Amino acid sequence: MGVIVKKVELSWLDRTYVWPVMKGMAITFEHFIKQLFTATSKRYTIQYPEMKKEMPEGYRGLHELKRFEDGAIKCVACFMCQEACPARCISIEAEEFSDLNITQGFEEKRPAIFKIDMLRCIYCGMCEEACPKDAIWLRKDYEVAAYDRLSMQFGKWDLMNTYAKADGKDRISQDPTPTVPRRTIVM
Amino acid sequence: MDKFASLLHLTPAILWMVIKVVIVFAGVMSLAAIFTWVERRGSAMIQDRIGPNRAALFGKIRIIGLAQILADGIKMFFKEDLIPTDANRKLFWLAPFLAFVPALMGFAIIPFGKSFVSGGVSYHLSVLDPGNGMGMLYPLAIGGMAVYGVLVAAWSSNNKWSILGGMRASAAMVSYEIGMSLAVVSIFMTTGGYDPSEIIGTQGHLPWNWNIVHQPLGFIVFFTCLFAETNRLPFDFAEGESEIVAGFNTEFGSMKYSLMALAEYSHMMTASALIATLYFGGWQVPFVKDPTVMLSVACFLVKLVFFAWVFVWIRWTVPRFRYDQLMHLGWKVMLPMSMGNLVFHAWRMSQGH
Ligand code: SF4
Ligand code: SF4
Repeated sequence: MGVIVKKVELSWLDRTYVWPVMKGMAITFEHFIKQLFTATSKRYTIQYPEMKKEMPEGYRGLHELKRFEDGAIKCVACFMCQEACPARCISIEAEEFSDLNITQGFEEKRPAIFKIDMLRCIYCGMCEEACPKDAIWLRKDYEVAAYDRLSMQFGKWDLMNTYAKADGKDRISQDPTPTVPRRTIVM
Repeated sequence: MDKFASLLHLTPAILWMVIKVVIVFAGVMSLAAIFTWVERRGSAMIQDRIGPNRAALFGKIRIIGLAQILADGIKMFFKEDLIPTDANRKLFWLAPFLAFVPALMGFAIIPFGKSFVSGGVSYHLSVLDPGNGMGMLYPLAIGGMAVYGVLVAAWSSNNKWSILGGMRASAAMVSYEIGMSLAVVSIFMTTGGYDPSEIIGTQGHLPWNWNIVHQPLGFIVFFTCLFAETNRLPFDFAEGESEIVAGFNTEFGSMKYSLMALAEYSHMMTASALIATLYFGGWQVPFVKDPTVMLSVACFLVKLVFFAWVFVWIRWTVPRFRYDQLMHLGWKVMLPMSMGNLVFHAWRMSQGH
């Protein structure tokens, strides 16, 4: 079945070509004036280093390893994220720790080393999906760049402090000794 | 003036000539350079973008991006100057100058201000004094030369895309030159002479006596043809990223390229000066019978800059024509229109208007 294309009938004024051009010029001039008198902050263009784009909800940027109130890492080194990662860029080494002051023989797991190779990461968010403890999040930071390859290997402490400043938290570089058993803390 | 001239061992006439030449060409060239920036900034604004606004003097003084001109110049200057191995070296060197010089030369005839008398000697504000016998024929002839720059550039670089661009430019010129000249001829006719100062004199200071009101058809033809003549959109067939790469200047780089680009903008300046002179009363200030010299120069400058801006403005308004459409327009529309314009004004003159 054919489609009937409606032919546009031009009026004699439009056929002169001069009048449509003048109409077009009015449109472009309107844009020019509007853009000229728009404040920089209201223009479409974002003047990057000075202004930054507010990323939408659900944007997948740099990772953060979540921590408990007392600063201890939430991650239990279950390797789920490492398994789920399609880019194979997470490498974890687990360790056991216990606090004998509270519960005799109470043992827990946590990562001793938690490395993400940010050069290989594709920011797919699979690790976030896979994590049973909500310990790894992808947040809105998109300025992940460095001068050499080594600084793109993010370690455990880098990942835990990614958003420390933005959230007004202290930077930590040591696992605190837990004072209460993890399972009693409401997550 | 006399004292200063004798200090330099020159006659006042020669000194005045030197001053004029320097003012005109330095002025046109810097205007052209500024318009490379105006074009980029203006087109950005028209498209709701921002345009080059970051280049700053010493990394601090931004002056709305005007330093971009300097930055571009420096960048072009330090780029490697490549000549293709199979290119015709002599012509390849000559081409940018062939494009650039005629673009500036056309300006020589244009009076950019009112003549004035000082110490019994009258000074004319145009490089070529009025009454030189060439009049407006000179810029038309020189304008025809300009296409040589494009064609030589295309031919010498020994590149198929370039040749195609050059051919298009010359074919476009052939189809436009006649319509344009006929439009100008009807101005010669109504003026009764072809000296620019005569043309400006007969137009007077009242805007409704300007040629634009008397010959709107001629103006449309002339204006359209100038776009083809200056190789600008919507008729920029010598270039075309989607079809023939960069056209005639595909092989040009470094200073040669920047000279080519500057030639285009100088051409634009000359073209807008021609429009202002022929159709908008040149340096005449509207409603001021006897303007001061400074006022007349300022008025001419305003007209010049306005028409140069219209070139930029049109560029982002009208989509590009196809090549055959241009030929169609040139031969079947523009030529009969300017012919009709000529005949109409001849008839009016015979009726004693
Ligand atoms: S975002 Fe995707 S690629 Fe990056 S670490 Fe997580 S699972 Fe791996
Ligand atoms: S981040 Fe989550 S998924 Fe990955 S090891 Fe830790 S607890 Fe398991």
